[in-house]
Amino acid sequence: MFQNTKCECGHQNPAGTVLCEACGRSLDEGGAAEELLEMRYDGAARRSQKSHPSVLDRIWNFFSSVKIAVYMIVITLIGASLGTIYPQENTFLTTQDLGDYYRDTYGLSGEIYYALGLSHTFESWWFVSLLVLIGTSLVVCSLDRVLPLYRALNKQQIRKHESFLLRQRAAYRGDIEGDPEAWTDRFEQAARKRRYKVIRKDGALLAEKHRFSRWGPYINHIGLIVFLLAVLARAVPAWQMDQYVTIPEGDTVRIEDTNYFVKNEKFTVEFYGDEELPAELKGTLRAKLYRTDAVLYECRSGCTAASGQPELVEVARHPIEVNSPLEYDGLKLYQFDFDNKAVLREVKPVVIDKATGETYGPFTLKMRDPETTFEVGPYRLELKQNFMEFAIGEDGNPITKSRDPKAPAFIFMVYGPGLDEKGEPYIYFPMQKDKAAFSQDKLNAAIADRLEIKVNGMENVSFVEYTTFLNVRKDLAMPYIWVGLGISMLGLVMGAYWHHRRIWLRVDGSRATIGAHTNKNWYGMRADLAAALKAAGNETDPKSLDNGGNRT
Amino acid sequence: MKGAARKPVQILIFLGVLLLGGYAIGKTLFASKDGLPMPGDKPPEFTLSTLDGRTVSLSDYEGKPVVLNFWGSFCPPCVKEMPEFQRQYDKWKSEGLEVLAVNLSEDNLTVRNFVAGKNLTYPILRDVDKETERRYRLRSYPTTFFIRPDGKLEEVYQGGMTEQDIEERVLKLIEES
Repeated sequence: MFQNTKCECGHQNPAGTVLCEACGRSLDEGGAAEELLEMRYDGAARRSQKSHPSVLDRIWNFFSSVKIAVYMIVITLIGASLGTIYPQENTFLTTQDLGDYYRDTYGLSGEIYYALGLSHTFESWWFVSLLVLIGTSLVVCSLDRVLPLYRALNKQQIRKHESFLLRQRAAYRGDIEGDPEAWTDRFEQAARKRRYKVIRKDGALLAEKHRFSRWGPYINHIGLIVFLLAVLARAVPAWQMDQYVTIPEGDTVRIEDTNYFVKNEKFTVEFYGDEELPAELKGTLRAKLYRTDAVLYECRSGCTAASGQPELVEVARHPIEVNSPLEYDGLKLYQFDFDNKAVLREVKPVVIDKATGETYGPFTLKMRDPETTFEVGPYRLELKQNFMEFAIGEDGNPITKSRDPKAPAFIFMVYGPGLDEKGEPYIYFPMQKDKAAFSQDKLNAAIADRLEIKVNGMENVSFVEYTTFLNVRKDLAMPYIWVGLGISMLGLVMGAYWHHRRIWLRVDGSRATIGAHTNKNWYGMRADLAAALKAAGNETDPKSLDNGGNRT
Repeated sequence: MKGAARKPVQILIFLGVLLLGGYAIGKTLFASKDGLPMPGDKPPEFTLSTLDGRTVSLSDYEGKPVVLNFWGSFCPPCVKEMPEFQRQYDKWKSEGLEVLAVNLSEDNLTVRNFVAGKNLTYPILRDVDKETERRYRLRSYPTTFFIRPDGKLEEVYQGGMTEQDIEERVLKLIEES
């Protein structure tokens, strides 16, 4: 389409220009002469607007369109809201059988939700694609607008076309009494008093303030771009970590894929007493405090599973509570959960000679990696076999059903007074319930009358009472995210709390024509203009300066 | 930035978008969902000690077809398939087949007692604190990884296997060496 972009004043404007770059006359000849002017980007053409766009230009123009950007943002918002209907997959610790979980918990809609992949909306290709499109649009839109705007504001013509002035939202036309030069001086003084910067040229005047607020949106965009890049950087494995460690009380566990080990020295949980709870919660367990007294170690040598004992050096120590993580070198350990299923750690049994009633011991028997030889009084016990969860297998032989000490059993070969020289086998169940269930005495038959291994009192039994779950996080991108948000906030504040105000004055003989423009707070704009007019000698009601448009 | 610089700037920005955006979108498409190593991947490296006190790493076996089996004495199907791996090992050892059986972090005595009298000649590796099994993201036992001589994963098999199941896969590995 051919568009005549040459203005009456003789200036040749780029394609897409709305208001003549030189005199401000509207180039849109279709618009009615009385209508207010469209002042967006000061009427400058978007940088990429061309009369004959290439393919590259067409793609560029696609991203340059604010309308399309708004559509993309709306689609992204709708997409993001879909992701909030049911919990996302990454909120679950185990990813096993999630499909079943969604179906069983939420029914058919849950099944569809999972099948559509909405259960991982924020990691889906389409969502990330939308973010990439928005990011591109941010860069292109800003670049396309900020440069022409900068140029337009940097080389403003002082003397504007009368139609430009009178079609501003705040405008004035009046006659000057006395010397126009002196009148303009008084007008300038009043404007300067209100901190306007004033330029005069050929009987025309431009008063302007707070131009920097025009850059607010673009600074905001730069902030958002930094933010998006930082979010993208989190995808780099070395930049981000989010995993869980399970540590029984007293144990030291490696943090996977790192050189760190963490020890749970003690776990504490406190609940509110009944008297502290409101009536409707009485009788329920409400946690007051979860705390893991944790120690972080760095491994210096022998760090692989093969090398046995790793050499650990303490680097940090912190009582981890909710919202009070252990922090070390970018690593954060948060309290996540706990489990109070008691797990047997070790017992201290004694050996009783049934013939004499004499008691020997106690000796320490660990459930995990126990020693294999014990000297107890006159007896020698050799551990031959151990079972974590004792059971009788299909073939009648003892087996273990798991590797956790849920029903531990130990088979000793016992040597000592009154026993066979070659030793006699003795099976020992540390837990009373197992002892009864598997009838220890019957299994031991012959030896049971002469010897007994048993634990005297609970003080000789040690349990792991609590197991703590810690969430280990590392997020090196976080500082950049904050910087991005800071820049973005700065731009928002610049654009929101300051407004670019301009007053154009042109004097033709004894007639003054004035137009004023701002992007916000027209009330203040008119007040500024009325004050300057009053100082110059033409007192005017600010309301009369309103050229319509019904905005404040 | 006028006229002449415009096109290079456009191209530069689009290249940047393609690069960064492509990376971000690509990651969402190719992330493996359950975390188990996928066929074609290089399985995670480990260094573990064997029952007889040697130290072995997975990388020691590069160039050979490797069957990597995770087992525990508490897992009946694991126990059942161990002699079958032994027979396959005897049969194909001369072709370069290696079998590595990683125990699922059980204690010393348990593993020794279990292995004693079973006449297993392939190395029994001792995982500690579930470290290796976690790195392999095991979800069930037994799980067996068939690794090609080039060090890449051919197949992951979850659950117990018959000797025939094993042989089929071993032959495939040997063919490729």
